[in-house]
Amino acid sequence: MKFLRAVSAALFLTALSLASDYVGSDACKTCHAPVFNQFFRNPHYQSIASAKESPENTGCESCHGPGKAHIAAHGGKATIVAFSEIGPEKTLDACLRCHSQTLSRANIRKSAHTQADVVCTNCHSIHNSKAPRFLLAKQEQRDLCYSCHSTVKAQFSMPFKHRVNEGSVQCTDCHNPHGAFAATWGMAVRSHMVDQKQGNEEACLKCHADKRGPFVYEHASVRIDGCQTCHMPHGSTNPRMLTRPTIFTVCLECHNGAGTFGIMNNGVFHLSPTHNLADPRYQNCTTCHVRIHGSNADALFMR
Amino acid sequence: MRTFLVISVVSVALAQPPVAPTSEQAGNPRGDNSGSYNIIQSFELGYRFATVGGDGGMYDSTVNYGDGIRLLSSSLTVQSRDGHGRLFDHLVISTQGLGGDPYQSAILRIEKNRLYRYDMMWRLNQYVDPAVTVSYGEHAMNTTRTMQDHDLTLFPEGRYKLFLGYSRNLETGPALTTIQLFNAQGDEFPLFENVHRQVNEYRLGGEVHLLGVRLNVMHGWEDYRENSPQSLTSPSQGNNPNDLNALTSFQSTEPIHGTSPYWRVGIFSEGKKFWAVNGRFTYVAGKQAFALDELSAGTTLRGAANQLQVVTFGNADRPTLAANLTISLFPATHVVLTNQTSFSNIRMIGDSYFTEFDNGFQSSPVLPFQYLGIQTFSNTTDLMFHPAKWFTIHGGFEYSDRHINSVQGQSNLGDPAPAQPAIEQSNQLKAGTLGFRLKPLKALTVSVDGEVGRENKPIYPISDGNYQAFRARVEYKLKLFRVGAYAKSDYNVNSDVLTSYASHARQYGADGSWVPVSWFSIDASYTKLHLNTLGGINYFSQGIDVSGESSYYISNIHSATLGARFRVLKRADIYVGYSHVQDVGDGRATPYGAGLYSALPAFQAVQTFPLRYLSPQARVSIRITPKLRWNAGYQYYGYREQFSSAQDYQAHTGFTSLGFSF
Repeated sequence: MKFLRAVSAALFLTALSLASDYVGSDACKTCHAPVFNQFFRNPHYQSIASAKESPENTGCESCHGPGKAHIAAHGGKATIVAFSEIGPEKTLDACLRCHSQTLSRANIRKSAHTQADVVCTNCHSIHNSKAPRFLLAKQEQRDLCYSCHSTVKAQFSMPFKHRVNEGSVQCTDCHNPHGAFAATWGMAVRSHMVDQKQGNEEACLKCHADKRGPFVYEHASVRIDGCQTCHMPHGSTNPRMLTRPTIFTVCLECHNGAGTFGIMNNGVFHLSPTHNLADPRYQNCTTCHVRIHGSNADALFMR
Repeated sequence: MRTFLVISVVSVALAQPPVAPTSEQAGNPRGDNSGSYNIIQSFELGYRFATVGGDGGMYDSTVNYGDGIRLLSSSLTVQSRDGHGRLFDHLVISTQGLGGDPYQSAILRIEKNRLYRYDMMWRLNQYVDPAVTVSYGEHAMNTTRTMQDHDLTLFPEGRYKLFLGYSRNLETGPALTTIQLFNAQGDEFPLFENVHRQVNEYRLGGEVHLLGVRLNVMHGWEDYRENSPQSLTSPSQGNNPNDLNALTSFQSTEPIHGTSPYWRVGIFSEGKKFWAVNGRFTYVAGKQAFALDELSAGTTLRGAANQLQVVTFGNADRPTLAANLTISLFPATHVVLTNQTSFSNIRMIGDSYFTEFDNGFQSSPVLPFQYLGIQTFSNTTDLMFHPAKWFTIHGGFEYSDRHINSVQGQSNLGDPAPAQPAIEQSNQLKAGTLGFRLKPLKALTVSVDGEVGRENKPIYPISDGNYQAFRARVEYKLKLFRVGAYAKSDYNVNSDVLTSYASHARQYGADGSWVPVSWFSIDASYTKLHLNTLGGINYFSQGIDVSGESSYYISNIHSATLGARFRVLKRADIYVGYSHVQDVGDGRATPYGAGLYSALPAFQAVQTFPLRYLSPQARVSIRITPKLRWNAGYQYYGYREQFSSAQDYQAHTGFTSLGFSF
């Protein structure tokens, strides 16, 4: 019993000691008035407003750690958790202390962004956010993404593109910057942080509902390898964001007469013997195969 | 204030958005206090104009801004100053393009701390596409899609949360389509289609956090309805007017009703410093019921009168199940080991009762059916190691196994379906990844990543086969100066006994931005996107198998943007920008080039499509009073194809507006 009392007393004193290192956000106001005076706009201000959180979960010290030593030293980055100094790994840990357990952030530990040392503070500006939502570091979400993904920026400058620059489509309509689950299309391992509709379907179907089906006759490539089999989802110099400028060259990429590809890989040709490609009539495949994404009436997608 | 100005200058200098709305807001960025709330608000009202020379359809397809008065943008933020607002603590409303722009949006967020959070997003997108190179332009579209998403979260910061959601997606408008009649050799006829597609989705879910474990459950119902009747507006000789095949009347309706109830369950737990685990299970029970009634009349290729009625009805089902388990371990400081196992199972089953009446003669009704099943198992393991603040290395191994099963066949109605041999295919992908980050200076970052994969039986020639992808980037960023350069490559090769396929994609570029003084900023970017693909083709001509042909495609796209912003006398903001996209192809002067890779002129003519798409713009924004700005801008769009001028256009667009707060 004496031993238990001693342990309890030691734990109490330790807790008291740690708790006493927290000085409260009002103490920070003295030197950091510009930040503090605008902090009421910040979602993190809720921890101060509620007045119910423990010191380590309240206001400035919930992210920057206890401020007693910082005050005693009259400031300095060495005596406080300064996010400009601690590096990406600890920044991620600091934010995930509260923000980890959300479905959309379930894969943040293995996301391509984390692997590239792109962590929370690269995209979110806690004290100088220009966006009214999500504390984004730039006013427009696209500008955040473009600052690293220059090739994507170039693709959205193409004549045919999703209207990201025009503001009606956002990167996060299709992508989860915090990491995505394995895709149910393709071979499941190169998802490029593509988000999923209804939990497990390609993001394209969120808007293009008519392509979703299900159809009696599915165009197998759409389900097996996904929309990118034929389309370039960011932008393209080709109409309908196709991978090729003319439709029959898109189709011939797979329907090339080679019998060893496709689900009918037992020697069945993927091109009708009646289709003479030298005849211009057969160079506009979708004029006849109108329901190319899938049909309920015709196995060849003719109606 | 100086800091704000500098940040403002930088923030507009990255993308190349349309010239309007302007990014300069009227009013005080810190807002005005009213009672216990702080309010920031502004809106921009103006007139937009556009004059187009050349192919207006292509302009509508790629730009589509028109004339008229617009509420170009508006924003309102109301924030409780003490976090104890009566009805809400945080309110955000922002809109763009209301009043007639082809791309309009509105966002609303209203939140009461710890009690509720409501998010709404509404969007309208006009889609025009003449698509001359797709079905001779006979599949043109001029539709409008409106989408809205509503999400309400109760107790957003609590241990128990409740989610309610509703989404709606409506697409309406005229379109063209085609049908091929009356037999396999028949002509193609253009039709009118009145598009009407509608999706309603309802969501209900909850989350509980107990004993360090968070359980998230979401149940949704999606309802899809489509009825896009097709008709013939006038008798047609079809795409080949030299034969006797003609269509004098046509009517088709195919109402479709689909439902997709779904479940999503997620579970998470973080064991403090040593481990984290999350799992997810989803199930979607997609189903569609349909009926098609099509009646057509005309003459056959031989000139005989023909009336054809097609009646079809049935169901299609696609249950989809996916499960994931992710385990992250932190065995030592600076080490993260993550493993994710995933499984998905997709089954597609359909039945379609097909009946045809040819000149009043009823063909035997048949029940075609199809089954397609896809099972995929994948496992990825990634290791990240941060031995020093200036160095990070990561590597991983990915394994994926996919099994595809397909059955196709048909039977007479009432008869048992004949046994059909299942067509099966299994393939495995093994891939390795490796990358590192170097930060030798605080301002300098170097990153290199690579992935090499081998798939033993790619399902399509363009699927990942033997592929290798590399990416490198160097960035120097010091305060308000940033410059970066990057290179990417993605090569893929597939071969079999008949043909081979190879694609080579390479991308290079550099970009940078600089704010040397508070009144001036500049940004620029250049990207070169190279793609070439070469695939073999076998086909029949006059009954003879033609082999040795190739489908070759090459594009060399140069894309550059330049933007500069000036602030004059703290009163006027001037922005000039330029965007240039040019595909130079392989440099050939005529569509047929040197006749590479194919003897067929039709193949040679589609190997490359050089074009140029450029858009300079300029905008001025003048602060008249602290709460009022006058804005004006001009933007030119020029589209030119090298081998044909049929779709070229030149467009002069612009706007003038007032931006103010009150």
